[in-house]
Order: sequence, then structure tokens, then C-alpha cells
Amino acid sequence: MINHIVFIFIFLLGFYAILVKKSLIKMVIGLNIMEGAIFYWFIAITDRGGIIPIVQSTQVAFNLNDPIPQALILTGIVIGASTSAFLLTLIIELNKFTDSTNPDQLGGMIED
Amino acid sequence: MELLLLLIIIPLLTAFLIPLIDIINKKARRVLVLAASLAEFFTFLFLVINNWDDIADGTIFIIYKMGGWFPPLGIVLSMDMLSFYFSLLITISVMFLILYSIGYIGHHEGKYYVLIFLMWAAMQGIVLTGDIFNFYVFVELLLITSAALIGFRRNKKGTIASIKYMFYGVIGGLFIFIGIILLYSNLGTLNYAEISANFTTLSFNTQGIISILFLMGLFIKLGIFPFHFWVARAQSTAPSPISALLSGVVEKIYIYAFLRLFWMVFNFNYLQTTGLDKAIIFIAITSSIIGHILALQESDLKRMLAYSTIGHLGIIVAVLTVNTKLAIIAGLLHVLSHLLMKISLFTTTGYLLQFAPSHQIKDSRGVAQQNMFVFAGFIIAAAGMMGLPPMLGFFSKLYIVKSFLEKSYYLSALLTIVGSITALIYYARYIIYGFKKINLNSPQEFRLILSVLYRERLVTDIALMFVGAVIITGLIYKTFFGPLESVANLLHNPSIYIDFILGG
Repeated sequence: MINHIVFIFIFLLGFYAILVKKSLIKMVIGLNIMEGAIFYWFIAITDRGGIIPIVQSTQVAFNLNDPIPQALILTGIVIGASTSAFLLTLIIELNKFTDSTNPDQLGGMIED
Repeated sequence: MELLLLLIIIPLLTAFLIPLIDIINKKARRVLVLAASLAEFFTFLFLVINNWDDIADGTIFIIYKMGGWFPPLGIVLSMDMLSFYFSLLITISVMFLILYSIGYIGHHEGKYYVLIFLMWAAMQGIVLTGDIFNFYVFVELLLITSAALIGFRRNKKGTIASIKYMFYGVIGGLFIFIGIILLYSNLGTLNYAEISANFTTLSFNTQGIISILFLMGLFIKLGIFPFHFWVARAQSTAPSPISALLSGVVEKIYIYAFLRLFWMVFNFNYLQTTGLDKAIIFIAITSSIIGHILALQESDLKRMLAYSTIGHLGIIVAVLTVNTKLAIIAGLLHVLSHLLMKISLFTTTGYLLQFAPSHQIKDSRGVAQQNMFVFAGFIIAAAGMMGLPPMLGFFSKLYIVKSFLEKSYYLSALLTIVGSITALIYYARYIIYGFKKINLNSPQEFRLILSVLYRERLVTDIALMFVGAVIITGLIYKTFFGPLESVANLLHNPSIYIDFILGG
């Protein structure tokens, strides 16, 4: 239960940053916090308290931790890193045209 | 069969080969781009010829086990009638849009082709994969590459649109990711078929949370009403072939994901018992009418077309959720007609805007006297959008209204018709401006037009070819009913898919 509460708290913290902060860089940080919360939560809820694979063939393989969440999260981290990197690149690109990183001065996030 | 893997590998490999070839010889890239698009097309053609009997019956089932691992453990690529329909649309339309880009952007932009081939690979991957985490990875690949193409012009507007698209897309993706985690931690599998077989064993609340998370993610990525803020900016600042690709093809990929996930992987009965399907229809129809109203008040041509996309996607999502056989056929028919019409509108617009000083509708005076054929093409495609008879748009809208009436969604049927009438008004406004005569020799009307087109003839030919497809598919619309009916059968009987994947 504590895992779910911590996850929701951290996730909403990131979401708060995206909704409220008036700087694109801080909004990217918010995205990263949300991603971090998800990664933490996935590892926590699939933990069975067992031993870590890879197991050698001589060992008796019982009470193993599931290795798949770790593989999925590695992929998730790669995707998260590349989206943040790309967003930061776009923000640097934007700096050529304007000094501001305030989304409200750039047309707003919920105006079309 | 390995052909399924080739459909993903060919564009992926080409994307990585293009920068390498660039170092050696810039001219060789032209050959590579053309050869790779043709290779992809012929691979698909070969697949069709090989399985022609099954496709005609609507029973095509092809499976490829990655690395020889059997389904619940390994990743599978699979093609059934639903994947086949969407893969066909992607292969043909993206191939012609790449040819259009060769005329529009020219050969000197290497990065453009890298990104468009990556997009192609991602779209084929989403359609062909049978693994939900693979689906997520391909969705994020599609997001990053399309965002890079939206900001391709490297101006202020494009960069802002790209940043906005990224924020909405990443948040949508995170909702999907949470849904996948809930699925994995409860069922211990990522395979579509195995999730589908065991989904009803989950508790009522878990099913609800997972459904809502995936709905949120897909609606953000589709640009359905409460999350439609990125659509107009993204589709209007991108280069025209990319606008066509985003509005015509990428949005249809998420329609595919909606169908695949909610009909064949999750239990559609859940949506029906909780009344969530009524809510989806309500949101989608609201989104549709809001899209049409926003298009009506817009003075910028490309933004107007983008808002019209919101309008049509709303109708498609709503009619699919009605979930009768006729409704699914009508929805899938409208997927095809909207794809062809939107691509022809954006491709003709891309050409016509070269002869106007800005994207504003009032600046389009006199485009008719300069480019009669292309302007006529625009009018035909717009007539399809309004739902005038010989075009496919008329028949798909007719069946949409019919299927709404069949299930007594009278208001939805009415709003579909109202949407078409609104479309009539906003397209007519542009067309009337286009027909206004201007004297090109007079000093007031003089305008400096720098056509940036690389090969004008190629651009107009492909745009007119898409317009031709709008008319021809309208004339032969009855032939689509057989295949689409087998898609509807498959969607109503997910057990066929489960047996095929887990039994094969």
C-alpha cells in the first residue's frame, strides 16, 4: 500500500510541476519526475523479495525475482532519456528566436 | 513469415543507411530513398500475392515468432484482417507521400528522409506487433520522429508547436505505460492474446482503471476534445507532406490501437456494462462538433484543415464505439475516406500555398486562375469532406448516420449531418476566395512568389492522383464491404485471434 501512496504522491508532484511551473525546463523536469515515479513503482510492486536472476544451473531456482520488469524499465529509461533530450534540444533551438522559456509568453500550453 | 519482419526492417534499416550514404555520395541518397520505398511496397505486394486466397476470404492470419520463441513467452508479429487493412493504408499512402516529399522538399534534406522512414517503421510496427510493450516503444518512436518533423522548418512557430506536441504526447504515453504496468503486475504477461484470454479474471475495479488509463492515453494522442490543444499548431506548422501524414495516417494508427486494444485485448463488454461506451460517444461527438466550430472561425487555411481533422476523428471514434457490425464497417470506411481526402487536401494545399503570400484564407485570391487543375482537385476533395455524392465521403457518412439511427443515437446522427453542413460553409469560403479574379500585372496585386518546390510536376501529379483515388474509391465503394465485414467479425470474436496466436 505504501508503494501506491508514494507513487501517487511523486507522480502528482511531477504533474504539478507541468501544470503550474512557468518555465519549459522545469516542465521537462516535471516529466522526468513522473517517469521516475512510474519506474520506482513498477520495481516496487513486482518485487517478491526473492534472489536476483541470473541463476547458475547448479543452483536450485526457487523464489526468484521476475527479471522482466527490470528489462522493461531499462527500455522505459532509454525512452524517457531520449524524450527529455529531444525536448531540451527543442528548448535550446527556441532560444535562438526568443529569450523566454515561459509557456504563457509562447502562446500557452492550453491555447491552440 | 519473415515478410512481416521485413515490413518493419526495411524502413528502419534505410533510416540508418541514409546518413552513411550521405558521407560517401549525396546523389546516391536519391536512389536509396526511391529504392527503399519501392522495396517496402513490393514486399507488401509479395505478401498480398502469396496470401491472396486468404485475403479474399478475409481469413488471413500470418504469424512471425521473433527468435523462434513461442507466443506467450516471446514477442510475436502477427497480421490478421485488421492489421492487414491498416498496413495496406500505411504502405501505399506513405510511399506516395515520400514521392511527394521528393518533389516538395527536394533531395537536399537528408534528415527529413531519415525521420520519415523511422516514422514508417514505427507505424508498421504498431500495426503488426502482438506485444503490448512493443506497442508502447513504437508509439514513443512515432512521437519523437513526428515531433522532429513538425519542427523541421526550424522557425519559432514550428519549434513551439513541436515542444507542445511533445509534452502532450509524452504525458499520453505515460498513461499508457502505467496501464501496461498494471496489466503486467496483475497478469504476468505482455502478449495481446494472453492478456485477452485472461482479462476478465481481473477484478472489476482493475479493469476499469486499466481501461480509463488507456483511453486517456489514446485520446490525448488522438487529440479528442479535452486534449485537442496541440492538433492545430502541430498540423499547421509542419511542411505540407508531414501535415498530410499526421492528419491522414498517424491519427489512423491510434484509431487502429483503439480498435485493437479495446475490442480484441480488453473486454469490450466491460465498457458496455459500465456505460463507459455512452460516455465515449458523448465525448467524441462533442469533440467532433467543437472541431467543426473551431474550423468555422479559423482564418488560416492549414489550421482550418487541422480542426476539420478533429471533427472527423470524433465521428470515427463515436461510430466505432456504437459497436454494431454496420457501425464498425462505416467507421472503417470513413477511416479510408478521411485518409484519402485529408491527404489530397493537404497535398493540393501544399502546392496552392506556394502561390499565395500567406496561409490566410483572404490571401488566397486568384489561386484558381493560376493553377486550375490542382484547385479543381482541392474542390473535389473538399466536396468529399462535405459529403457530396460521387465521392467516398458521402457513402461513409451515409452509413455512419444509418448506424447511429439503427441504435437510436438520434442526436449523434443529427450532429454528424450538422458537421457536414458546417464543413460546406468553411470550405466554400476558401473556394470563393480562390475564384476571385486578380490582375497579376497591376502594382497593387503584384506579389513576389518564390516557389520552393523542387519538382513541381511530381507534386501536382501525386496530389491529383490522391484526388483521383477519392473519386474512384467512391465509385467502387461496394467492394470494400466484404473485407470490412470480415474485420468486423474478427473484432466481435476476439477468440479467433487468441486461438490463432496461442495455438500456432
